[in-house]
Amino acid sequence: MRTLADELFREFREHSVSEFFRKNAAMLGYTGKIRSLTTVVHEGVTNSIDACEEAGILPEVKVWIKRVNEEPDHFHVIIEDNGPGIPEEFIPDVFGKMLAGTKLHRNQQQRGQQGIGVSGATMFAQMTTGKPTEVITSTGNGEIVRAEVMIDVNKNVGQVIRKTKMRGKWRGTKVRFDVKDVSYIRSRYGPFNYLRLTAIANPHVRIIFEEPDGTLTVFERGSEEIPDRPKPMPLHPAGVMADDLLVLAKLTKSKTVGNFLVSELSRMTKERVSEVERISGVNMRKKPSELTWEDAEKVVRAFRKMKFMAPSTSGLRPIGKENIEKGIHQILSPEFVAVVSRPPKVYRGGIPFAVESAIAYGGGAGRAVGRSEEGEIGEVETEGMELMRFANRVPLVFDQGGCAITAAVKSIDWRRYGVDVTTAPMTVMVNIVSSYVPYTSAGKQSVAAEPEIYEEVRNAVMDVARELRYHLHRKQRQKEREERAGIFEKYLPIIATKAAGLAGVDPPSFERVLMKVMGMEDVEA
Amino acid sequence: MSKLKGLGGERKKKVLAKLGEFGKAIVQDFERGIPPRLKIPSRGTSNIVYDERHRYYVLGPAYGIRSAASMTQVKKLAQTLCVADFCRQLVNSGKFATLREMYYTAEGWETGPFYDQEESNILVEDLEAIFGLKREDLGLMPEEDGAAVFGEIVLKEDNSVIDATKAGRGGYTIPPTIDEVEFVKCKAKRVIAIETMGMYHRFVQERAWKRFNALIVGLKGQAARATRRFIKRVNEELGLPVYLFTDGDPFGFHIAMVIISGSAKLAYINHELAVPDAKYIGVTASDITNYKLPTDKLRELDVARLKQLQKDPRYNTEFWQREIKKMIELGKKAEQQAFAKYGLEYVVKEYLPAKLREVEGEKFINP
Repeated sequence: MRTLADELFREFREHSVSEFFRKNAAMLGYTGKIRSLTTVVHEGVTNSIDACEEAGILPEVKVWIKRVNEEPDHFHVIIEDNGPGIPEEFIPDVFGKMLAGTKLHRNQQQRGQQGIGVSGATMFAQMTTGKPTEVITSTGNGEIVRAEVMIDVNKNVGQVIRKTKMRGKWRGTKVRFDVKDVSYIRSRYGPFNYLRLTAIANPHVRIIFEEPDGTLTVFERGSEEIPDRPKPMPLHPAGVMADDLLVLAKLTKSKTVGNFLVSELSRMTKERVSEVERISGVNMRKKPSELTWEDAEKVVRAFRKMKFMAPSTSGLRPIGKENIEKGIHQILSPEFVAVVSRPPKVYRGGIPFAVESAIAYGGGAGRAVGRSEEGEIGEVETEGMELMRFANRVPLVFDQGGCAITAAVKSIDWRRYGVDVTTAPMTVMVNIVSSYVPYTSAGKQSVAAEPEIYEEVRNAVMDVARELRYHLHRKQRQKEREERAGIFEKYLPIIATKAAGLAGVDPPSFERVLMKVMGMEDVEA
Repeated sequence: MSKLKGLGGERKKKVLAKLGEFGKAIVQDFERGIPPRLKIPSRGTSNIVYDERHRYYVLGPAYGIRSAASMTQVKKLAQTLCVADFCRQLVNSGKFATLREMYYTAEGWETGPFYDQEESNILVEDLEAIFGLKREDLGLMPEEDGAAVFGEIVLKEDNSVIDATKAGRGGYTIPPTIDEVEFVKCKAKRVIAIETMGMYHRFVQERAWKRFNALIVGLKGQAARATRRFIKRVNEELGLPVYLFTDGDPFGFHIAMVIISGSAKLAYINHELAVPDAKYIGVTASDITNYKLPTDKLRELDVARLKQLQKDPRYNTEFWQREIKKMIELGKKAEQQAFAKYGLEYVVKEYLPAKLREVEGEKFINP
């Protein structure tokens, strides 16, 4: 069985980079005019946030999308951060080398997993306009480097074709992609919504966005806390596949298969190695490099028969209840938020994951149906339920229909929670956190319907939906109380005055009766 | 003659006292911190029962609650009080208003206008049922006048004294505010109420009022509230026996029966309207055969209506059951004016004396 990674590498060896890119455009996110633009923004912004976090800097990211020469499908995408900057010698690799420093099998929860990253955006720009990508960066050492980067498609290396330096006190990186065959629309698939979602899931990031028409939107920071970097986690035996074993075997420094298993996998001990040997019949003293496909399969089968301690979840980095709440308050200013961050679970018997979910109600929550002239975030007209999907904090904007998150949310009987999803001003947010998110396709925009994940998403969303129901119930009660009070305050004095008129006496005080009826349930209720 | 004194003043006192008590009870509730609630006799069909002893429809014991503690009822309660207070002002000033006038007046009330007149009419009925008073007692009057009276009675309306034999051929017109009217003098010994105005005028022309010492009342079909109240008053206050003369068909029967036993719809004030001792004299089914009257065939509708009447508790007497059965068997009906077959005077000279002798026996002396 060959993995996607194997396919990628094979393709990569056999064809030129540009051909590879073209062939795999769909799975790299470069299909369609709207999606391609969003992908360029995504790659640039992700790169910026990752760099800032790694350096312990609170990220501030500015994004401009500018129309070029009034052409309908030609734009400059400019992304600037306050990150650590890129040392001059690394510029070509960061922006120009496809599959540089492969992230595959690092088994770490992270934003990108493809190893294409921002160089993909460079490639896309180069293919659509033939123009280099401009990089301006400084590590804060007083020297600012301006470089124009192109990819040498035959050698798959980045080339700086023009470089200038200047003095200046500044730190960060500013990149400009010159792209064609894209279009800018403020739909839920476009860059605006992508950045809005990013801001919600990353409340520590300040994002400033200027749209082609000049509209400026600032997604303010909701939190000053830089999230911990995820830790690489060894694979758990229950989640490991034969090809994982083979790849790891090729990279390990261990001398025997037995030692290799103990050092590369979690929850493995010498005793468990003997058990594996007994069940699988594979010689644990042979060199890892001599491990065959058949051996690997036998070992995996043995793993399946054994019971292991649950995998460590220390590598998972959920956004956290408090931060989700901050992000949502900052961006949606809703009247109500409920957040749940559920404890980790495993799927496929061994892959740890955790689900976080939030419901925001009222304010800017809900599916946008229009926006105010000023483009204020809080002043968007909304109607019906909006679903925000995230995997490891990254917004999933496309392929909503095929996603396990969508299916799980749709499967909920919302009426039980007092909600009409077609009208309620409501945003449901789901973040799946895992070192290995099972996407349905290489496009990485929808999560596969693993039963454990589906169930867990359902449970998480129902947790917050319950809280929403209490809120709506309280609100309804409050409204009814106010209505009641209004009605009684209006009519009791009339009754008192008229009765007094009939009796020929002074009107009695109605206050006591008012207090009494307000404290009572309605007699018919 | 003290009996003939107008009851207007006393009624007014009684009504104001009732309204005062009503208001007082609510004021006391407020003072005790208890949300006031009204018990309103239910007027639904299931609560309308035939009272065998009184021989008319009355309301049963069921009632609805209108509570100040209910969000959905408190407005209705306030409106009820507004209507009651409006009535107090009317009664106090001795003025009358129509239901329609009250409906328009409500536009200026604190409770705001009514949705439609039906809504305000129902509140009036509520008060009638609560107090056992007619709307006329509360200063509200129907739009239409009552019927005509001809005969030897003298009445006093405000400052006018009217002799019902000197009010022209049309007679004295019973006003909606008949309870305000004083009976000053009455020589008549009986009341003959007649369905059609044609026959009424025949009776007037033939001086039947003189001949029979009677008040001739022209009902103009189904009797108006004021007419019924007039008949009730002369029956009760002056002790005059009442005789009813209608067409010989189911509709004529029922015009008589509503005067005798009241209608189901007004069950809550039938004690003020029904004249259970009033007697039906004709035209009966027996009259049709006995007098060989010209007839019409019963229509399907007539037969259906007769069958309804057979089951109606008000008709549960030997007389009515016999006559209804007979009419169905005959398949015929006859109008009052069918007696003209024997000449215009026949009905007054022959038929009526015979009938009165039948009901009054020896007491009746043929003039």
